[in-house]
Amino acid sequence: MSAGAFPSAAEPLLEVRDLEVAYGVAPALWGVSIEVRAGELLSIVGPNGAGKTTLVNAIAGIQPVRAGHLVLAGRDITRLAPHRFCAAGIAIVPEGRRLFTSMTVRENLELGSYLPAARAQRRESLAAALALFPALETRLASPAGELSGGQQQMVAIARALMARPRLLLLDEPSLGLAPLIVRDLFAAVQRVNEEGMAVLLVEQNVAMAMAVADRAYVLEEGRIVGAGEPQALLARPEIQRTYLGV
Amino acid sequence: MKRTPIAIVGAGVALAGLPLLGLPPFYDSLLYLMLHWIVLATSWNILSGYTGYFSFGHGAFFGAGLYTTSTLLARFDWPFLWTLPVAALVAAVLGVALGAIVFRVKGVRGELFALLTLAVTFVIGTIVGNTPLDGGQGVSLSAVPVPPIGPKASATFYLLALAAATSTLMIAWGVAASRFGAGLFAIHDDEDAAEVMGVPTYRYKLMALAISCALAGAAGGIHALFLSYVTVGEVFTIAVPLTVVLMSVLGGTRHWAGPAVGAIAITGLLYSFTAADHAIAGKAATGAILIAAILFMPDGILPRLQRVLGRRRTRLPSAAPAQPTASALPTAAEAVVAAPGDASARDRRGATVRVGAVLLQVRGLDKRFKGIHALSAVDVDVRRGEILGLLGPNGSGKSTFINVVSGHYAATAGEIRFEGRTLTGEPAHRIAAAGIARTYQIPRPFAQFSVVDNVALAAMFGGAVADPAAARREAMTWLEFTGLAGRAEARPDALNLHQRKFLELARALASRPRLVLLDEVLCGLTPSETDAAVALIRRIRDQGATIVFVEHVMRAVMALSDRIVVFDHGLLLAEGAASEVMKRPHVMTAYLGTAAVAGARP
Amino acid sequence: MSAFTLPSASLLSQSVLSGIFVGALYGLMGLGLSLNWGLLRLINLAHFAFAFLAAYLCYELASRGLDPLLALAAIVPLFFAIGAGLQGLVARFAITPFNSLLLTFGLTGIVEALIQSIWTADFRKLESSYAQQKFKVGTLFVPVPELITLVLAVAISAAVWAVLRYTDLGRALRGAAEDAPIAAAFGVNQKANALLLAGTCAALASIAGVCLALSFTLAPSQIYAWIGVVFAAVMLGGLGRALGPLVAGTLIGVSEAVTMAVTAPSWAPMVSFTLLIAVLVLRPGKSA
Repeated sequence: MSAGAFPSAAEPLLEVRDLEVAYGVAPALWGVSIEVRAGELLSIVGPNGAGKTTLVNAIAGIQPVRAGHLVLAGRDITRLAPHRFCAAGIAIVPEGRRLFTSMTVRENLELGSYLPAARAQRRESLAAALALFPALETRLASPAGELSGGQQQMVAIARALMARPRLLLLDEPSLGLAPLIVRDLFAAVQRVNEEGMAVLLVEQNVAMAMAVADRAYVLEEGRIVGAGEPQALLARPEIQRTYLGV
Repeated sequence: MKRTPIAIVGAGVALAGLPLLGLPPFYDSLLYLMLHWIVLATSWNILSGYTGYFSFGHGAFFGAGLYTTSTLLARFDWPFLWTLPVAALVAAVLGVALGAIVFRVKGVRGELFALLTLAVTFVIGTIVGNTPLDGGQGVSLSAVPVPPIGPKASATFYLLALAAATSTLMIAWGVAASRFGAGLFAIHDDEDAAEVMGVPTYRYKLMALAISCALAGAAGGIHALFLSYVTVGEVFTIAVPLTVVLMSVLGGTRHWAGPAVGAIAITGLLYSFTAADHAIAGKAATGAILIAAILFMPDGILPRLQRVLGRRRTRLPSAAPAQPTASALPTAAEAVVAAPGDASARDRRGATVRVGAVLLQVRGLDKRFKGIHALSAVDVDVRRGEILGLLGPNGSGKSTFINVVSGHYAATAGEIRFEGRTLTGEPAHRIAAAGIARTYQIPRPFAQFSVVDNVALAAMFGGAVADPAAARREAMTWLEFTGLAGRAEARPDALNLHQRKFLELARALASRPRLVLLDEVLCGLTPSETDAAVALIRRIRDQGATIVFVEHVMRAVMALSDRIVVFDHGLLLAEGAASEVMKRPHVMTAYLGTAAVAGARP
Repeated sequence: MSAFTLPSASLLSQSVLSGIFVGALYGLMGLGLSLNWGLLRLINLAHFAFAFLAAYLCYELASRGLDPLLALAAIVPLFFAIGAGLQGLVARFAITPFNSLLLTFGLTGIVEALIQSIWTADFRKLESSYAQQKFKVGTLFVPVPELITLVLAVAISAAVWAVLRYTDLGRALRGAAEDAPIAAAFGVNQKANALLLAGTCAALASIAGVCLALSFTLAPSQIYAWIGVVFAAVMLGGLGRALGPLVAGTLIGVSEAVTMAVTAPSWAPMVSFTLLIAVLVLRPGKSA
């Protein structure tokens, strides 16, 4: 499904090494190292302000990095210009959706497949996106700003899929959405992952994030404080304390 | 600081003697024009430079004054000097009428305001040109005698302009040094935050506009007789506003004397080019200077000069700052209302203080945005002296709750009562004056004010301290309280995140609130910084304030709160003591999901 | 008070026609300004100076025997380069939309001085074979220069509209105008696109300038006379919308012409500016 060569089993798809990001004077990430393996669904959870969005934006090329490395399938992409990250194979579903509200749903999806490689497969990608989210079929001509929150989230995910990425980044997709809609969205994400796409999911909704993940990291105040199987992490007392304070 | 007005008046008096030197009329005219532009640019700056509402309509008000005088002189044979106050009045009324409508429209700021005021200029110009006020032919005033104030006519105009310039500079300085001026500068930096802090933005903008227009109108009146033949094309164009913008931007819009510096520089430059017969080159040079100023000196000449000469901004009064005494906040004693069965809190002497009657009562609060139901029928009571935590996942409505209570948003439905008074629907600055203060999750200090002046603003507008010097002294006590006294003169962007959050706290406290709303104060702080912040918040409560805070750092929530309230999708999910609420099953599920959900992968 | 005279039907329809023609020029002049403001967040006052510079260049070439329409072949690429070059320089500084207004005002002064130093402040009129030609359609006179302007305005506006609406480049420009970082995350190279767009806007200004030269007498001071009414057309038409300036310009032109026919020419400016004020006060969100 994804373009480009598959990395070997030993080498992860994405390696983040000692990443440091700061907003002016405020440091947001202090030497974060994670890896995403081919075909897996990885969740990163953590309280608000932990730096999850900063991490995702850095991987997508939106957020400049002060130190550290981003290595995608063996290639160091840290110093690439922001608009070259998509061609490298990374697509993002940003926090808050960030659709192009002045444009229609169809135009949003078309812009998702802006790059030449994706553009060549636009028709198939669009068909696949509509198969995944049938509700969008009737809304293709609507301005994106007029859709409900759940529908907008579907468009945002579809837009990223139109770019035919190797790695899909999802930043807090459940934000502000009702539980039933969240359930459907996550089911769709799982389907995409089952077809072979690597997914990095960042979520504050620990329940859903752990339910779908193969592996998980816990990020707190800019540092990784836990990694491993979701079950094991949830059972740890310090995770319970972080979230419940008890 | 009081030396400045004396210096201005002194300079005015000294320059008044110039005509006695018997210089050729050319100099009188040149100096007249310089002073004329000083008046126009400085008066423009009082609204546009101070508040940031760059108007391109100064030509309209100048023109209104000009035509008032010419009409009164030509049609009604008024004595010249009596026309000037009328000209000022007409221009001011015109300006206030315009501002009353335009300032109500929230979206019209920045470049839209500039275009609107430009359009008004052309509309007024067209009306004037098509009615008997001008009639398209212009108005001739050659028959009107010039009052014999100076030895000759040109000297008279020079003296009139000198008087106008001196008065204008005095007024500009006076405004800048006053509480009114501080409010205007705050509007410039962040109008919404200023409003929430207690600055009556609508009223202040109108006042600044009225002053600005009145001075421009007076200048117009003088100029009418100077020209002795007035036409619409001279006045109601884009030339006047663009020139005053150029002069003010070049000299520095934040400073009362900036436009004057720019006016002298530009007039002198243009004259020297014209005198040397290079008027065209002069125009090009002016353009080049404006470009250079925008790119390399966006603050203007004057601030750059001040920095080079090493002059500091106004210093603090040297008297030792007062200690944060019990008189600064409502005392712990005042906060006590004995009532049976109330939960207890501690005051700073360690004795228990009873948490008292209901201070803030929220009933059925509902807030909808486009398509999003952010708050649903929320009922909350906040008791005097308690620390109440608001919890819930992102998007659950906690911050919206704070925004509605502080007046940043208007409620869609429901009622908010504070100390028995209904506050629903009140503008933010009235809510601030009622005794409620808030901090922002992402700190929003006024960027161009120093740290101490940021806090002083809050004291002046939330706390109703009238005198800027007294406000600054009070501000220092709050900086001591929050540990920022050493950074008092720094700009906010030189502070780190922790310091900026404490600045937000100091600002909130300076208005002497009875209720403090904290929006994620601890977000982004290191563990030790978090501990310091928690200790500070406790001290704030011990001083007698009631605190409602939104927080995610559970450690701090457990340590601080007497009670918590949990939000979920806009609804109130649970309420009670912190440790007890977080153990309730449905709250745990909302946060972590059930064990069954966490286990299986479908 | 000025008298209201009801003109005859043929006079009124001729007025409407001339209003359409001048409105088309407003639209053509406003197109580049609107794109620059709506898509690049730059308020380019120098747009008018560029138009006049192109007008004067066209006049110069015409006085040496070159057909004005052929002169376009040289003028358009020249101004494209100027526009792109200017954008390249300015992009290094982070400039707010308001400061871009002031900056380009300074540039306007420089260009005006340049024009005046070469061609003096005297009025110049381009003499061309088109100037004297006109058609008669029914009772209406259709002057050829104005017709050329109308045709160019409609054709170019439609072409720009089509590019923005139907091509990937157009979508990329619109997306980047709304959310540049996310557009970049999908591969849009906004820096390169900005150069292309700025060059195009300057080229559009130059075409408007040539049309201006065909129909109007030129003087350096005239640069400022157009600013107000073209801004009105741009804002009424909605920023960044390709057909907006043309439609709004035509509306303004016709209203002005009818006003002039019914009352007196000096009342014409009221129309555009009152409309502009109304739009700004009633729907400020829609304009920007």
